[in-house]
Amino acid sequence: MSIAQALENIGFLSDFADSVLVYPIVLSIHLTDIALFGGMILMTNLRLLGLTFKSVSITQMVTTLRPWKRLGGTVQIGTGLLLAVSEATKYEPNPYFWTKMIILGLIGVHALIFRPTVYNNTEALDRSAVIPGRVKVAAILSLVLWTAMFTMGRMIAYWEG
Amino acid sequence: MLLQSALVDALNDREWVFPLAECVHIGGFAVGVGSIALLDFRMLNLALRQESPARILRYTELWTVAALIFVIFSGFTLFLSQSHIYLINQIFPIKMYVLAAALLYNFTIHRKVARMDHPSPALSKSVAIVSLLLWTAVVFGGIFTGFLE
Repeated sequence: MSIAQALENIGFLSDFADSVLVYPIVLSIHLTDIALFGGMILMTNLRLLGLTFKSVSITQMVTTLRPWKRLGGTVQIGTGLLLAVSEATKYEPNPYFWTKMIILGLIGVHALIFRPTVYNNTEALDRSAVIPGRVKVAAILSLVLWTAMFTMGRMIAYWEG
Repeated sequence: MLLQSALVDALNDREWVFPLAECVHIGGFAVGVGSIALLDFRMLNLALRQESPARILRYTELWTVAALIFVIFSGFTLFLSQSHIYLINQIFPIKMYVLAAALLYNFTIHRKVARMDHPSPALSKSVAIVSLLLWTAVVFGGIFTGFLE
């Protein structure tokens, strides 16, 4: 038995996959969470690009939204894991799923690279007269990565192995 | 009728149209609903407390409206390319009623209370909670349209 099959056979997960209602409910939570917290990521990046929220400090934007983005990210990963593991044999050969996981890894790399100079350095950014180029690069890359993320998520359903 | 069937043929000839429209639909509602939710979080006193809700509304409304236009256009594309399926779907009309209610609410009561100078906290918070519930219901309606017949 493969790892994917073994995962699917875990008791509560097979009950989960067998239920007609539970899968769409978890998927709906996954997508509602994208709307509620994805919007915060977008607005933070638009602020970094100087496109909106101009009178709001970058510090306020980043620090007051941070706990909610963390909560949103936790819900994303929790519901995403349930969806993937309950149908592990379908996800395992799906190239869109693995592309999505690579993008998720790149989002982690993005955080490691830009956190010290951008997201944890907001007070210095608020003091400077112009928004530095690396901040705009961070914001644009973040938008590109998240767009790729939800696009690959949707494409998972279209792969016919 | 003729225009409609010509449109449908164009949609059906290109198998990438449906998934592309779905991605625009998801990206659009993430921006549209997300920007509304940000205002709701402010009205609930959960974020950006130093700014007034009226100011958050002013900063987000252009993004909200632009995104909702993308959502409606992509949604219409999805509907046209599979209209025979949507028309017999039992969840789809419910989603449309909830969507109409959410849009009407957003551009009337929600906007009005967000612009008030000193609304009572109870009013502001209940208006924000109703907004979040309506939009959550619309997203659930969209997923369930795809899963139930």
